[in-house]
Amino acid sequence: MNASGIPLKEPSVSAAAADAEQVERALIDASTRVPVLMFYASAMAWLIIGTLLAGFVSFKLHTPDLFSDISFLTWGRVRPAHMNVMVYGWASMAGIGTAIWLMARLCRTVLRYPLLLVAGAGFWNLGVLLGVGGILLGDSTGYQWLEFPHYAAIILFVAYTLIASWAVLMFRFRRGEQIYITQWYLLGAFLWFPWLYAAGQLMLFVVPVQGVLQSAVGWWYANNLLFLWFGAIGLGTAYYMIPKVIGRPVYSYHLATIGFWTYALFSSWTGMQRLVDGPFPAWMVTASIAATILTIIPVATVGLNHHMTMQGYFPLLRYSPTLRFTVFGAISYTVFSVVGVLISLRSVARYVNFTQASIAYSHLGLYAFFTMVIFGSMYYIVPRLVGREWRYASLIKLHFWASVYGIGLMTLMLLAGGFLQGENMENPSLAFSETTETVLPYLRGRSLAGILLTASHFIFAYHFGLMLFGLGRTSTVPTFLNPVEAEGPETHL
Amino acid sequence: MKGLAPLFLGIFGTFAFSWVGLTLIPNWQIGHLDPQMEEDGSDAYPQPQSGMVERGRRVYAANGCIYCHSQQVRADYAGADIERKWGDRRSAPRDYIFERPVFLGKMRMGQDLSNIGARAPKEEENAPASPAGAASPATSPAPQGGAAAPPASSAAPSGANPSPPTKAGSPLPGAPPPKATTSSPPGGSPPAAAGSPTAASASSAPPATGAAPAGSPGQQPAAAPPSSPAPPGANQNPSPTNAGSPAQNPSPAAAAPPAKSTSAPSASPAPSMPASPGPNAPRASPSPAAAANASPAAGAPWPVQTSGEPPMYSAAWQHRHLYSPRSINVDSNMPSYRFLYQTRRITDAPSDDALKLTGSEAPPEGWEIVPTYDAKCLVAYLMSLNQSHPLKEVRSAAPAAPAQSPAAPSASPAPPK
Repeated sequence: MNASGIPLKEPSVSAAAADAEQVERALIDASTRVPVLMFYASAMAWLIIGTLLAGFVSFKLHTPDLFSDISFLTWGRVRPAHMNVMVYGWASMAGIGTAIWLMARLCRTVLRYPLLLVAGAGFWNLGVLLGVGGILLGDSTGYQWLEFPHYAAIILFVAYTLIASWAVLMFRFRRGEQIYITQWYLLGAFLWFPWLYAAGQLMLFVVPVQGVLQSAVGWWYANNLLFLWFGAIGLGTAYYMIPKVIGRPVYSYHLATIGFWTYALFSSWTGMQRLVDGPFPAWMVTASIAATILTIIPVATVGLNHHMTMQGYFPLLRYSPTLRFTVFGAISYTVFSVVGVLISLRSVARYVNFTQASIAYSHLGLYAFFTMVIFGSMYYIVPRLVGREWRYASLIKLHFWASVYGIGLMTLMLLAGGFLQGENMENPSLAFSETTETVLPYLRGRSLAGILLTASHFIFAYHFGLMLFGLGRTSTVPTFLNPVEAEGPETHL
Repeated sequence: MKGLAPLFLGIFGTFAFSWVGLTLIPNWQIGHLDPQMEEDGSDAYPQPQSGMVERGRRVYAANGCIYCHSQQVRADYAGADIERKWGDRRSAPRDYIFERPVFLGKMRMGQDLSNIGARAPKEEENAPASPAGAASPATSPAPQGGAAAPPASSAAPSGANPSPPTKAGSPLPGAPPPKATTSSPPGGSPPAAAGSPTAASASSAPPATGAAPAGSPGQQPAAAPPSSPAPPGANQNPSPTNAGSPAQNPSPAAAAPPAKSTSAPSASPAPSMPASPGPNAPRASPSPAAAANASPAAGAPWPVQTSGEPPMYSAAWQHRHLYSPRSINVDSNMPSYRFLYQTRRITDAPSDDALKLTGSEAPPEGWEIVPTYDAKCLVAYLMSLNQSHPLKEVRSAAPAAPAQSPAAPSASPAPPK
């Protein structure tokens, strides 16, 4: 994929030429076009692959005899393949795409060194491809969230180094003294991830730690990936998109500062609560539970900040696709954190440890929060890259509602099923097989939710494909979800 | 926020804090544990595993067993793991010092496996080289022997645990326990061997309480297959084939799996037999009093499924379970791992490794289903999972009964209730 390979229309610089700032923005957008679209297109491909794998995993969990003769379709291989495709293929690549665009916009400079990013995207895809292939062929390392075999991990790390060095370089060319909130989060994400990934790889594979500590390092990695990588990108994006779309500044800069630093401090200490009651010194688990509870502070400040920013502008949710997805994601962030606090408490963890509830938690974080925010940002960014508007408002609406009902149903099913499963597991007078049987109806419900999500992803991929091939609407007015009745819409919508 | 410096410093500082706090300090605290030994350096636990077991660990990792099976027993105050007889004490960091990767697990769609090797019948340890190979000959004659001895079923209820100890009371069953005792030390699998002699001696300790009922029927299975490896197997098999199958088959879905200890005191002790004799001795058998008084506790320590011919948790049983989980437990949710097995034409004589399958599972005439090397390694790995050895830093579930042999460090009986 290169600049001339795709019949893209140049962003319509002249249409908005009235305003010098508009021109500048359009130029910046144009400069990010190839790398960002490359990341987005790859991410969309991985999203579809990951969705198909997820459907297979979900159905096979309650229909265990499906394809049991074929080694690479066994449940224990497809499940990590699905997870890694979603985490490293879809979420990371889409997140990086959004982060690149935000970075260029907020540094107010055209994108320099695009080759770094193009090479980064290429290596990243190669890494994920090799990694997923390796897992399916039986090369998994056996560490959750780090299943990629070492050859894939190295390539991924190279790709990441290229991208992160680009991000740091961009900072040198930024204009203006002020560093916006979003940039804190993005810079944090770009610096935390390599340290995190390198530390995880080193402590598990190069100089492996002893025994149970591998598990501690594994969950430390997984939780920090969730919070400091995906969480930081997601929150940074929300901090940009919400004020941008409604056209007013963030409610409180001060609150945002508190939110950022408490987030960095507390959420990085979570992770061990997943090892509750395991063979570890109690202080490790307790420290993480305390840190999880303390994440209420950043959640409250960020939530309050977003809410106060939106105050009075909630009716805009009716029109703007970006706002609708982003606000849903921001609300889910609060729900995700509250659920995280609840299931980390020892009295509750006793029941939900080892059950489907932990899957619900991961999906709340990675899907209901992060993915929805990224969907929102893609609805905002893609038209500015291809110079077309989204073609069908109806498809956007379908995408939104299928995603919302899908992820809502999935979370409810897994949480409820997980609690019942845990309750039965704690009752030794019930045979163990009854605990799994208890949860099976909920897993079927989860499969139903999976169908909804699959539909939503295919709709979005189709719509994205139309945009990519220049089949969007040519219009100066963005696509609204509903016709705007009153006076002219917000210009930034 | 102005300037990059404070931002950079903060970003690095917060993360370094977490990195040091959650990985480096724990590594300093519990990252360099040594095996526990007696003062003279004997009885080291845990011990490094054989190459076959290590390869089995790779197979376990490659096929994602960890996504459904945990390998950690929680303390009695934190969960029902010990009541579920998944172990007689909580897991401790020292249990895992040689494990790489470590499979603590986060999900229990399947049972906890930390002690699955400890549940295996004792004679399995005769077979260091090829568990599968040794197991099938041992077990295959046994079912017939057991089946030919209907009264054996009556032995099961009370005899579940006491049957090994009956060597004092009855001449013929006297054979099995020595067998178990002598068979375990060979040390095919080191960690198991460490615990097993004690297991045998512990199990022989609980004396006469249950011996009388167990003694008489116990003779018959033993009498039927006099060959050396068979008796222990025979001892275990009668109950599933006789008492077990008629009782459970009518409603396998409902009745069979719940045959766990407490659900059906009258019926469940019968199927308990296959599981218990050797391996459970350390934790289940030392409760002869419980066997007499509280029948639930005397019941099957592990959920016993429908009539499987190989003794539960033996290597042959593991192979069959991997190949066809639902032939053993109709409610099982486990995928089958047929790709680890090979269907091949019988050339000269049927292989010793071949799976004993019946009904629609059975291969066509002239063909047999044998485990691949990976499957054998995986089973060797499963059989090596054993945390029954006591650790000084961990309290076992209940104080050892004073009546137990003091020489038996692993005699940490299960709580009666």
